[in-house]
Amino acid sequence: MTPILYVLGLTLTTAGVGFLLIAALGVWRLPDVMSRLHALTKADTAGLTLIALGAACLTGRLDTLLALGLCIILVGLSGATMGHLIARTHLSETDSE
Amino acid sequence: MSLAFDILLTIGIFFTAAATLGMRDRVGSVVGFVVAGLLVALSWVRLGAPDVALAEAAIGAGLTGALLLRSSGRLKPVERLISPPSHRFIVALIAAAFAGALAWAVYTASGAALYPALVSERLASSGVTNPVTAVLLNFRAWDTLLEIAVLFAALILVRIVAPAVPQPVALGELMLPFARIIVPMCAFLAGHLLWQGASVPGGAFQAGAMLAGGLLVLMLGGFAAPTPRLMSWGAMLALVGLAVFSLAALGAEVLTGTLLLYPDGTAKFWILGIEAALTLSIAAMLCLLFCGVPRRPLK
Repeated sequence: MTPILYVLGLTLTTAGVGFLLIAALGVWRLPDVMSRLHALTKADTAGLTLIALGAACLTGRLDTLLALGLCIILVGLSGATMGHLIARTHLSETDSE
Repeated sequence: MSLAFDILLTIGIFFTAAATLGMRDRVGSVVGFVVAGLLVALSWVRLGAPDVALAEAAIGAGLTGALLLRSSGRLKPVERLISPPSHRFIVALIAAAFAGALAWAVYTASGAALYPALVSERLASSGVTNPVTAVLLNFRAWDTLLEIAVLFAALILVRIVAPAVPQPVALGELMLPFARIIVPMCAFLAGHLLWQGASVPGGAFQAGAMLAGGLLVLMLGGFAAPTPRLMSWGAMLALVGLAVFSLAALGAEVLTGTLLLYPDGTAKFWILGIEAALTLSIAAMLCLLFCGVPRRPLK
């Protein structure tokens, strides 16, 4: 593994952990469902993407990058859809009250 | 470094398990159960058993979570149950005794190390290079055949109870692009898991669960309504795995004189054939466990 890839991997992973911490902080501290979702869905996807890219750099292998790329796509897709579904359900519940 | 991870993981499992039990909200409890299942799957990876981890994540956490979530919607709102202290004490005593017995069994067990050596010695003759698949589909294929029979028995129970078929609700416009990517990917990954099960972790159970997940997306998204006709076909498909496995067992008996002893050199074809049938069958069974088995109206 080249030193550049190693440093890049560590930087990306650290940044990803930072995003995940912000997401956790948002879910913990923000007052209602909508703002929690707002904090969680974006920061969560960004954090996981950065960690996966960092891990791919740390292993330095192309096949790992492909598998991790699949993880990124799936997490991004399900995160966005689930956020939408939760927000939708929340809106229909508050409308009916 | 990895020790710190293991300790955090153990604390996480205990914490989510406690939160699952202590939660008043039933849906929250189910979510806690799924998270605990995923953490347990991670602990299986740490223990060097990726096959178990895959099965735990796909079936233990994923599909069982979906089944629990579906049941929780059908139950009445939860009432706060406060059991008398004497009951709690007895329950705690039983749990502690069980945990103690388990710990004692783990510490005194010595025979477990015998098995891997026997398997690796005979692995070359099994037709596959993944020792777990070799055990499940060749050395102990009889156990797996009975497991499929057990799953089928569960399906018959669901048929007797006859739960109402879930009605899909409108899930919004994001569901279509989601399904367009997820469903083909599930089918693709199921095939991949099935094929790679011969050499690396994977196999029929994991592939079947993956396929069932894709089918559930289709069903719950309202893209494929579970009509009685479709579900009858599903019930037939659920039978196929058990039928193919039993026929293979009998065929091997005729060809070699021993039940489930595959003829020399062709073991891989037998194993892949059985696993392919099992994958479709397990997917059908898991879907039917979720949405119920149709019954003909009584005349």
